[in-house]
Amino acid sequence: MTPVRAVLGTFGVLAAAYGVWLWLSRGHDRWDVVLWLAGGVVLHDAVLSAVVIVLGLLLVRVLPKAAQAPAAVGCVVLGSVTLLAVPVLGGFGARADNATLLDRNYSAGWLVLAGITIVAVIAASLVRSRRR
Amino acid sequence: MLPVRPPAETDFSSRLRSAAVTARVGLWLGICFGICFATGLLSHYAQNADHPIPFPTGPVWGYRLTQGLHVVTGTAAVPLLLVKLWTVYPRLFRRPEREVRRLVLDGLERASIAALVASAIFQLATGLANSAQWYPWDFSFRATHYAIAWVAIGSLLVHIAVKLPVIRRALTSDVESTVDDRPTATMPGALSRRGLLRTTWAAAGVAALAVAGGAVPFLRQVSVFAVRSGDGPQGVPINKSAAAAHISDEMVGPAYRLEVAYGDRTVALTREDLRAMQQRTESLPIACVEGWSAGAEWTGVRVRDLLDLVGAPGGRDVDVYSLQPSGPYRHTILQGNFADDDRTLVALTLHGEPLSRDHGEPARLIAPNRPGVLQTKWLARLEVSA
Repeated sequence: MTPVRAVLGTFGVLAAAYGVWLWLSRGHDRWDVVLWLAGGVVLHDAVLSAVVIVLGLLLVRVLPKAAQAPAAVGCVVLGSVTLLAVPVLGGFGARADNATLLDRNYSAGWLVLAGITIVAVIAASLVRSRRR
Repeated sequence: MLPVRPPAETDFSSRLRSAAVTARVGLWLGICFGICFATGLLSHYAQNADHPIPFPTGPVWGYRLTQGLHVVTGTAAVPLLLVKLWTVYPRLFRRPEREVRRLVLDGLERASIAALVASAIFQLATGLANSAQWYPWDFSFRATHYAIAWVAIGSLLVHIAVKLPVIRRALTSDVESTVDDRPTATMPGALSRRGLLRTTWAAAGVAALAVAGGAVPFLRQVSVFAVRSGDGPQGVPINKSAAAAHISDEMVGPAYRLEVAYGDRTVALTREDLRAMQQRTESLPIACVEGWSAGAEWTGVRVRDLLDLVGAPGGRDVDVYSLQPSGPYRHTILQGNFADDDRTLVALTLHGEPLSRDHGEPARLIAPNRPGVLQTKWLARLEVSA
């Protein structure tokens, strides 16, 4: 154990302990927080990871060789950006009294992004298949 | 056929799931988390009533820049975290150690990783939802996001301490190096390792661009997922409407008075009284925790000029009251250094027009380098304790 690792580890344990203390001493609805902490891990480890594995298998078995790499790139970009856009795409926070909040056409934005991604994937696949 | 038994570490064969990839993505993820943590602490401190070390009143764009960075780096961290977790996913299914000492150490490491993954996902998910003002939970967002931030950064430091030798080896050798790979990670994937890294940077870049327009005006056209278009009454978005704050016509009608008090001396000013005082114009951004901000030109009376009417001494904190009947921001503290700053105004107009109801008609507070929620609208009373 080098001094650097010991110092990092000690500060890490202290910071995390401080966070837990803050949460237990000042937070409300502690079980709701536990639910969200555990829920995120379960959703990622059991659901999202499984979906990605199945998508990966499909990609290799269904698509022609030249399209596999472009499709993988497209899936990573579009998939991750779609996931982080869920709150705005769903418009869950929209309020009737505030027209300036969530005031873009998010579905249209997503369609444009998806369109650009699909066109780029197809173009890259064609270029790669001609090169072979 | 897929195995019916639970997966084992050896089932995962892609050579992309390698420490050489993990460390490179992890480096940028760590940088993003570091920026989020630092800018988050800054905002939390700025929102506290008590400032043992005065929060600076300049630069005027300070809060706008740091909170814009907070949301942009947090958003860019989503693809980085997903790819990083993908590269280490097989490790979740590694066999338990046989020897007791190793079993305990492995258990501790797993616990620290569980804390890190849970807190990281929690911070990104709650942060993104908050920026869209979506609260599908019962806990207080600010208190909990702040507490879990310490858990995230602490478990990240522990993780770096545990993995430092692997991180060093990975970052100092070629990306194709297999030194720290699992023995079964040998199958080439659809992408090369460099290809996966470039894809990850591209995804993080697209994510950042998709929201950055909330704070960077020239990116508005491309930021398809920004929570604000930047439009609003008088060209500036609003966070809380007059209707949501329960501001009635009567409150802001002819009976409206702005009270300024120091000890037992109180003056009550009508709109006309305020307009008759010396007017100042300042360009100050309105910048919110949710990462959106907008520059604006405000005209009104200096807070210091108002406090001088009742002889309040300099350097003293000011209790600021809004007309809104309830809510956490009905009563806030304007720290002495902000109250004394020449740029801190009780604004009456925005971009040359009288404030609209949603922007705080008839008068609002506007100070440099300050969280938007503390720029009190529908001002009712400024009070300095004797």
